[in-house]
This record gives sequence, C-alpha cells and structure tokens, in this order.
Amino acid sequence: MSGDSTVPGTPSDPCVVAENVAMKYKVISTEEQSKPPSLHRKFLRRFKPNPNTVTVNALNELSLIVRRGESVGVIGRNGSGKSTLMKLISGQARPTSGAIHATSTPIMLGVNAALVPELAGDQNVILGGLAMGLAMEEIEARFDEIVEVSGLEKSIHLPMKSYSSGMGARLRFAIAACGNPEILLVDEALNTGDAQFAARSKRRMDELREKAGCVLLVSHSLTTIKDMTGRVVWLDKGDLIMDGEPKEVTKRYMEFTKLLAKGNNDSAFALRAELRSSLEMVNVVNAPESSRSPQVVR
Amino acid sequence: MTEAVGQLPQPAAVHDVPVDLSKLKRVGARPKFLDYLVQLWDFRQFTYYDARARIQSGTRRDKLGSAWLILNPIFNGLTYFLVFGLLLNTSKGIPNFIGYLVIGVFMYQITSGAIMSGARSMQQNKALVQGFSFPRAALPIGVNLREFLGNVPMIIAMLLIVLVVPPAEPITWRWLLLLPVLALQFAFNLGVGLILARMISKVNDITHLLPFFLRLVMYLSAVFYSLDRFKDHPTILKVMEANPMFIIIDITRDAVLYGVTPSLMSWAMLTAWASIVLVVGMVFFWRAEESYVRG
Repeated sequence: MSGDSTVPGTPSDPCVVAENVAMKYKVISTEEQSKPPSLHRKFLRRFKPNPNTVTVNALNELSLIVRRGESVGVIGRNGSGKSTLMKLISGQARPTSGAIHATSTPIMLGVNAALVPELAGDQNVILGGLAMGLAMEEIEARFDEIVEVSGLEKSIHLPMKSYSSGMGARLRFAIAACGNPEILLVDEALNTGDAQFAARSKRRMDELREKAGCVLLVSHSLTTIKDMTGRVVWLDKGDLIMDGEPKEVTKRYMEFTKLLAKGNNDSAFALRAELRSSLEMVNVVNAPESSRSPQVVR
Repeated sequence: MTEAVGQLPQPAAVHDVPVDLSKLKRVGARPKFLDYLVQLWDFRQFTYYDARARIQSGTRRDKLGSAWLILNPIFNGLTYFLVFGLLLNTSKGIPNFIGYLVIGVFMYQITSGAIMSGARSMQQNKALVQGFSFPRAALPIGVNLREFLGNVPMIIAMLLIVLVVPPAEPITWRWLLLLPVLALQFAFNLGVGLILARMISKVNDITHLLPFFLRLVMYLSAVFYSLDRFKDHPTILKVMEANPMFIIIDITRDAVLYGVTPSLMSWAMLTAWASIVLVVGMVFFWRAEESYVRG
C-alpha cells in the first residue's frame, strides 16, 4: 500500500479530532425470537409493544484527525457508517462512546437539516440563520443571496410543508450554506435538485470550501470525491478500511465494489481484509502542549 | 450474504498521536450553567423570532384567524357557566359569578396551554434540534413566549368582560397588579414546562398523562366553585390554598374583580412557587442538554 505519504497523524494543527468514537443504535426488530417464550413472557409481551430490540453497530470504535486546510472524503457502501460519522461530528447525534473535539461547531450541509414545516420559506431562512447563531442584521443582509442560492423565487413566501422534497432540500442547503463555517460537513448535498441547482450549489460549495478551515465530504460519486478532496477515508460496515490518497483509495474501493457486483463476494472480502490489515490507525492521546516532549512534534 | 464482520483483521499498526485536546471543544458539550444562561441570552433573537413566527402561523388555517385566541376561552367559560353555574349551581354565595368564572377559566387556560406546549416543545421540534446546535432551552422559552404573546388579546377580553358584563366592576389601580401576577405565572409555567419537556423527551408516555394532570389541577383550583365549601375542613383548605394555580386565580380575582388588595401571604407564596419551580426547571433541563439531540 502506498498510502505512507499521508501517514495519518502528526497533526500540526488539528481541526476535528474523533477520539475513539463508536455508535450503537437500539432498534426494534419484527423478527420473532427463536426461543419459544415462557408463559409469563408471553403475558408481559401483550403490554410491551417492543420486546425484541436489536443493537446495531453503526460505527465501530475509530479515531480520526483532520487538520486545518484538509478536505477529507468519506466513501463506503450503504450502511457503512458514513452518515453516522458525519452526524457525530456535526453534533446531530451523540456517540455511544468516545468524543468528537473540534475548534468550532461544525456545520452540516445536508438534505436532512429539516426545519419548521408550518412556517413559510422566508421565515425558515431567518429561523435557521438565527439557530446557527447569526445575527438578525447578518441574515437580512444576506437574505437575497440565500433565496438566490435556493432558487425558490416567489415560493419562498409559501409554507415549507407545501414544498416538494427537492425544493425543501434546496432551501436547507441555502440556509446551511450561509453560515460560512470553519468546519464544513457535506453529506450528498450536491446530488439533490435539478441540474440548474446543481451548478449553483456547486459554485457556492466551492466558495465555502475555499473559506472553510477543513471540509469533510460524503458522496457516492467518486468523481466528486477525487475532484474535491485531498484525502479519502473508506468505511465498511462501521469499520475503517483505508485512509489515504484519494486516487489510491477510490481505486481500491472501485475494485471492491466491482467484485461485489459480480457476485464475487469471497475475493471482495479478501481484498477488504488485506487492505484492513495494512491500515495504519491512529490512537488519540491527550497531551497538553506544555507537557509534550519536543521530539514528538514535527 | 455471509459476511462475518468480526473476522476483519487487526490493522497493521496503531500509532499513538499526541493531540492537545484542550485547544479544541468537545462537539455538543454541555456548557457550565452560567455559560448556558449567557448562551440563551445570546440566542434571544432566535427565541423571540421563533415565538413571533409561530403565533401567526398557528391560526392561519381558520377562517376567523386570531379571533379563536379569544373565542376559545369564551366558549369554555360558557360551557362551565351552563354546567356549574346553572345546572349544578356551584355559584352559591359567589358574588359576580360570571366574572369569577371568567377569570378562573382564562387564567387556568393560560397556564394549561403554556405547560402543554412547553412540555411538548422538545419532542415537536426534533428536526430543529437535530439540525442546529443552539442552547436547547431556547425552544421551551420560545414556546412560552409565544403562548404569552398569544394570550395578550385573551387577557384584554377577560378585562373587558369584567368591565362590561353586569354586575360591571370599576377599574381600580389594583388592575396593575395583574402585571406581576402574569410575570410570576410565566415563570411558573416555564419552570413546569422545562421539567416536563425533559421527562417527555425520555419517556414519551407522559404526554398521555399530561391532560389528566392538567384537568385535575383545574378541578382543584376553584375555577367554578368557591373554597368556602371547605371551611369546615381546615386541612383540605390549607392544601388547596397552597396550590399555585389557585393562588394565581385568587390574586387576580381579588385585584380585578373584588377591588381587594391581595394579601402579602399570597404574593409570597406565589413568588416562592414561581422562583423555585423556574430554577429547578432550568437546572433539571440543562443537565440533560446533551441528550435531546438523540430524540
């Protein structure tokens, strides 16, 4: 593996640090339990509507350090934990264990930052802006810009519940994008909306990326990932598989998905295991600057 | 597919990387209580806008619009007047029963409405909570503010009814005492709302119990009968008189209806209730600050 040029670690100026984060969900399964339940269990079950809970490991313990100025792409199959990782970093979910540290509150540009459906689009713009901590004057000054990015025109005065899902997503993107965040998280935001919006949002994204301290990008489009990032992290089933150069990681990921698509599961998983076994992981050690020995700092 | 996730091999190496975490902030970390209050103050525009915007949208679907803010308690008052005033005749010995009933019903509705919306504020705004990181107490506060602003026409209607419906009562300086009552009532409602909001965000089932609890409070607060019925039972009377909802209604009746200056004791009790409940509510809510996002 040639990822040695970007050995993860030696962070000169960390922006986002994921310290041993893991995420588990408890969900209700409709699957019948294999053991026949005892009589009193059967009785109790009538009152408890959800007896069969299953723990899903959305993300297994992993550490990640993103430095200032880095753009990191996150790739993986569905259910690999990409979006979970983004949710954890943005604070939309709290990790079951571990912690996320960041220099400032990361802002997620996604399609799932829902707002208040009863309110009109323009009211949601103001509310969302205020919720991000912008001042009223700032929002008013940039209101036209936000509406332009969203491309909603007159519909901005209608209640948000009357919007199509594409319109809603566009407005959410426009609101989130007006924040000029230091840490920017993007979750598939470029894949929604029509071609016209795609061009507009791409332009806004580029502006934001230039200004932002660091960017994390989740996308299924490997072209987008290769174009926009300088480092790629590959997750599979909640585990870190690779972390390195975009070209190398996306190439291996393509090999893996092609093998899977052909039904060649064994060789796909062999590839995955091989890559994983040559992965160099990081372990975050809290070391205050003053007590750190000078040799460690490069 | 037969993938054994557990069979994933160990990575080649695990490097210990020293990072000065003290320079970074933990995402979603709960600030200290005083910092939290400062944050809430910084988000006051959000809170206020949230309250304002939702009042307007609340009755937009109705033909009569905001008139429902007043019509609703009037119809309520009429219902109680029919049942308790005319049918059951609980009005015995109560001077100006209509005024008595109207103040009881209106003041009770202010509290029950505010507590109900405050309690549900976290659960109903999950999208907003998950989308943005603001101090979560801004939502219950905003909801209470909305209720309060929405109640202004209702309070004016209440005063008009007392003024106009015979036996009409005169305006005295004591009407000004309504302002501190409303302030204390606001603090009390907000405190209860904050406590319930945290509880409901953990155990949703409480929403089903809430209407019963609120109805019980109404029956115990002498909305349509007089506490004089318990004058032979000093213990019951004591308990009933300590009920904050009753104190709110009683002070208002004294000041607005009967031209009596409410006793210092009632003021002290209400102030104690409001401040204790508000402080307990704020601290209780703040302690779970990090968990609301999970929903």
